Amino acid sequence: MATLLSSCSSSSLLSTNYLSPPSLSPNLSQSLSFSSTCFLSSSISLSQRLSLSSCSSRTYSLSPFTVKAAAAVSEKKKVLIVNTNSGGHAVIGFYFAKELLGSGHDVTVFTLGDETSDKMKKPPFSRFSEIVEGGGKTVWGDVGAIGTVLDGLKFDVVLDNNGKDLDTVKPVADWAKSSGAEQFLFISSAGIYKPTEEPPHVEGDTVKADAGHVAVEKYISEVFENWASFRPQYMIGSGNNKDCEEWFFDRIVRGRPVPIPGSGMQLTNISHVKDLSSMLTKAVENPTAASGIIFNCVSDRAVTLDGIAKLCAKAAGLPVEIVHYDPKSIGSDAKKAFPFRNMHFYAEPRAAKDLLGWKSSTNLPEDLKERYEEYVKIGRDKKDIKFDIDDKILESLKVSVAV
Amino acid sequence: MAAVQHTFKPYPSLSLLPSSQSTFCGTKFITSVQYKRKVCQPKGALNVMASSKKILVMGGTRFIGIFLSRLLVEEGHQVTLFTRGKAPVTQPLPGESDEAYNAFKSKILHLKGDRKDYDFVRSSLAAEGFDVVYDINGREAEEVEPIIDALPNLEQYIYCSSAGVYLKSDLLPHREIDAVDPKSRHKGKLETESLLESKGVNYTSIRPVYIYGPLNYNPVEEWFFHRLKAGRPIPIPNSGLQITQLGHVKDLATAFIKVLGNAKASKQVYNISGDRYVTFDGLARACAKAGGFPEPELIHYNPKEFDFGKKKAFPFRDQHFFASVEKAKEELGIVPEYSLVEGLTDSYNLDFGRGTFRKAADFTTDDIILGKSLVLS
Repeated sequence: MATLLSSCSSSSLLSTNYLSPPSLSPNLSQSLSFSSTCFLSSSISLSQRLSLSSCSSRTYSLSPFTVKAAAAVSEKKKVLIVNTNSGGHAVIGFYFAKELLGSGHDVTVFTLGDETSDKMKKPPFSRFSEIVEGGGKTVWGDVGAIGTVLDGLKFDVVLDNNGKDLDTVKPVADWAKSSGAEQFLFISSAGIYKPTEEPPHVEGDTVKADAGHVAVEKYISEVFENWASFRPQYMIGSGNNKDCEEWFFDRIVRGRPVPIPGSGMQLTNISHVKDLSSMLTKAVENPTAASGIIFNCVSDRAVTLDGIAKLCAKAAGLPVEIVHYDPKSIGSDAKKAFPFRNMHFYAEPRAAKDLLGWKSSTNLPEDLKERYEEYVKIGRDKKDIKFDIDDKILESLKVSVAV
Repeated sequence: MAAVQHTFKPYPSLSLLPSSQSTFCGTKFITSVQYKRKVCQPKGALNVMASSKKILVMGGTRFIGIFLSRLLVEEGHQVTLFTRGKAPVTQPLPGESDEAYNAFKSKILHLKGDRKDYDFVRSSLAAEGFDVVYDINGREAEEVEPIIDALPNLEQYIYCSSAGVYLKSDLLPHREIDAVDPKSRHKGKLETESLLESKGVNYTSIRPVYIYGPLNYNPVEEWFFHRLKAGRPIPIPNSGLQITQLGHVKDLATAFIKVLGNAKASKQVYNISGDRYVTFDGLARACAKAGGFPEPELIHYNPKEFDFGKKKAFPFRDQHFFASVEKAKEELGIVPEYSLVEGLTDSYNLDFGRGTFRKAADFTTDDIILGKSLVLS
């Protein structure tokens, strides 16, 4: 592998964007660009970046040369995390804050809404004292008022882990720019990829043109010199705000069948949230390597829907009965019936591995054991839960002749 | 004699008209200009060996070896093919120029014998002495012993294993660190890898998934092409969502070259295949695209409802089966060149599309499936 020692006067990127933001123009804009980056650590290599316009599904391919992210020499950063107050992504900000604090950075978490709202009684918000104990600050407000709440403050890095469209992110991005933030990070979603028959979703693949996140990615790429977008899928981890594995535990622990739509062969990606947080931290500590890049923010293993059910059962040390059903047979209830998309939904974290030297640490079998222990510890196994839709599904399966 | 360049790299064409250019192994026909991924390989991307090696290829006259041996000869090595001579030692590739073929033919050497005749293997190899062995057709560990015994100064043993050794798992893709299945159909490959490890040989083992490309003798793409050509519906077991993975034979040959003399590859195992996976349904459609056929009709059926006797109704394992090729990329810089449709197009244009194939069309199982009214929608 050829290596190039560049003179270390500055870390200069000869190219601009590694991957242009999802563009919808039909013309080809390809540019081959070389970049050489000089780090204080010893691994210096020539890297080449492809810039592709994603007007069609295409193969993402990197040159064989990879950039080795700088070793531990990283300055202390002032990081602002704008966090949603509910939903699957809420826990990302919590882990990210704690990891940054652990690495010696300065962290402020700006959570949407009111500190006194009922939403703050749920995890991870109920555990925000851990952020404060770690030396971080927690504030609340609406995105429109961000300039007021954070008046006079300047951050090196701003992460928006809240908005899903321009309406909600633009105020944050604009304020971040005007207050002098150098790096803007956005939690987007792997759900914006167009379905494909050639998985996995790879950074640069076609996305749904009308997705709010797409508009945000485009906007921040225009406003900031140094921006990055992170597209997650599903995640597990203590402090999660939205059920994931719990849906399976609820049924397994009560000896109820687990109804899975379709064949159960659908692949998805369930990451431990610490994988997401470590990827974000790498981006903060290696801003040059992360600049202008879209990252699939996921672990590096896929699991089938049947597979998750089996792994959850194994983690609980209990048997599981999986039943498959045709979601069309239950009509409008189908969406609420099952917590995952009824299709292959699998992205791989190639950009993070290639450009940040990031490694996945998710180990579903082990992680689910911990999750199950907590599930029991909080007494959820004894909770009285209604399974109305499940019952509907099971009933419908009895009626029609089993396939 | 002019040096003839054999290169696998599909050079991108930026013209707006479909263009064909003569590269090694025939015509690279670019059917769509929509995009061309431009990969700039720095000079010397293929290992430039400081010295020419004396290389033995076990096999080499049927599929992988045909492409590999050309690259080896081109790199300046002395290449001997060990085969029984059932297939011709050399044959011109579709689209290969006479000049290129003759240059290759004049340099390749043949050692005729049966690799199962262990005494002969021992004596003939010991007499010759080789620096490197590429074992392309080895199946059982015992086949490897006489080779290693005969060549005490062997620099590297490069083995074509199989991703079929991986234990079936709910967590995918398969990675080189994953559990293997000692009871699999490919346990001979596993036992060979273990033997190489235990003998302290400097080995490198390559695990391909499904290999495809011109001259494929395993009816992978050919199976689809037969049906597409006949205008028949394509019967696919169960949901058609099963995910598999194809790797182009030329990319595999290139990977084999890249591990040659590479210290990083010492005693390592690498998955080598395409860098995207594909569903069964998607593969049927990709084959149609490659051959310029209209979108095919796909019929899904429950294989449990049929008795096909000894015949195979579908050329792939009825399960998810794919492997990550990241290790080879990260450690050795091995990146496949061909995307699925590009590769299938290459195979179609150089093989099936010219009227050549290995197995004649056999629609017996299709007719059994189509004949029954019980099919899954």
